[in-house]
Amino acid sequence: MRALFLLMAFGGNLAQWSVVPALSVGGVTPDLPLVVTVFLAVRKGPVAGCLAGFVAGLLQDMAGGGLIGIQALTKALAGFSMGLLVGRLWVANPLVQVPALVLLTLAEGLGRFMLLQLFHFPASLGDMMVHVILPQALYNGFLGSACVMCMAGAASIRGRSWI
Amino acid sequence: MKLRKYGLLLAVLLVCLLLLTIQTRGGGPGRAADAVAFVVTPFQSVLTHVHRRALGIWTTYTDWKSIRSENELLQAESERLRIQALQVEETRQENARLRRLLALRERLPLSALASEVVGREEDGWVRAITVNRGRGHGINRQAPVIVPEGLVGRVLQVRSGASVIQLLNDPASTVGAVVQRTRTYGLVEGAPRGTVRLKFMARDGAQVAPGDTVVTSGLGNLFPKGLPIGRVIAIEDKGSALFHFAVLAPAVDFARIEEVLLLTGQTQQDVAGVFGTDG
Repeated sequence: MRALFLLMAFGGNLAQWSVVPALSVGGVTPDLPLVVTVFLAVRKGPVAGCLAGFVAGLLQDMAGGGLIGIQALTKALAGFSMGLLVGRLWVANPLVQVPALVLLTLAEGLGRFMLLQLFHFPASLGDMMVHVILPQALYNGFLGSACVMCMAGAASIRGRSWI
Repeated sequence: MKLRKYGLLLAVLLVCLLLLTIQTRGGGPGRAADAVAFVVTPFQSVLTHVHRRALGIWTTYTDWKSIRSENELLQAESERLRIQALQVEETRQENARLRRLLALRERLPLSALASEVVGREEDGWVRAITVNRGRGHGINRQAPVIVPEGLVGRVLQVRSGASVIQLLNDPASTVGAVVQRTRTYGLVEGAPRGTVRLKFMARDGAQVAPGDTVVTSGLGNLFPKGLPIGRVIAIEDKGSALFHFAVLAPAVDFARIEEVLLLTGQTQQDVAGVFGTDG
């Protein structure tokens, strides 16, 4: 199970480097490691979500060449928060998961922006919100719903529920 | 369990904050990056290697797909261009044929009507072609039919929009002819195997030799005088027979006729000069 966990965490980053550039729509790309983190948190709880977010964020920080720890922190928080919501706000329901993913992406973006502000990040919140955070949140929601449908299909084929 | 959960979160947060602090305060970004890179870089290089291999395979696949579709497009384009080239060549040849026919019609001292071959009947019993001019165009039975190379035959039947032409090599066809060089008269008739021969050639006119040109004699006023019929290729000497026969190579390739001129007028003039066979 740990191998699967690592595979998913690393696989999300691998996909982010390889597949995601091809999925760019008007310069907007989904944050695949965050989507993977959220789905791991939904399935495995806050600890797995937190660890997955931390590893995925750390790899993204390394790949980006910026401050190391920013995305590790925000994604770890996002994974942990999503894991905590399981069992409280019907997060197991796919109809809740997708809007939750959108909101979580928005929250992660805002958290990242606030952290970067501490290090004199030059862009304004409005610009970042309109051009990066909001479009990415919507794209993540779209991707998340596709993942939910795929998982539901796979679950129906295997005759058992994934979520 | 709950303590462990929040303990992990706290540890993660502390690690992150420590990393950020090291980067901004202590030894600058380099040391924190070095520390993380020491742990992460091996994984990252493995992932990058896997990524490159996967990307390479994917790129090869997409290249193959694009080359395949490009190949299909080029094949279709090549096919289209080949058909177009054939059409152009066909039009060019038709144009050349029609130009020659037009030039012949302008040189002729009698009226003629151009016509296109629309049907063909060649089974040994009958050798005929059908053209798209008929009664409405002023065509009469027995009208001579020619092409720039020479005589094709005569109109056998006239219908409302078409005419049937009996070819020179039809077994029932006979045309009064003369050997141009020796002025030896005879009859040119078709044979069941599709050949043409000159018969009733008197023995005293036997100076006829292979290579001699045979033209219409103009006797009977059916065909104008001097229409090329063919060239002698062999003499059939029947020994004591009264007549000789000459086997002819027709001036016209009957199998390749596509357009013809139907002569609608009469002339007593020798038209051999029009075809350039007057010696």
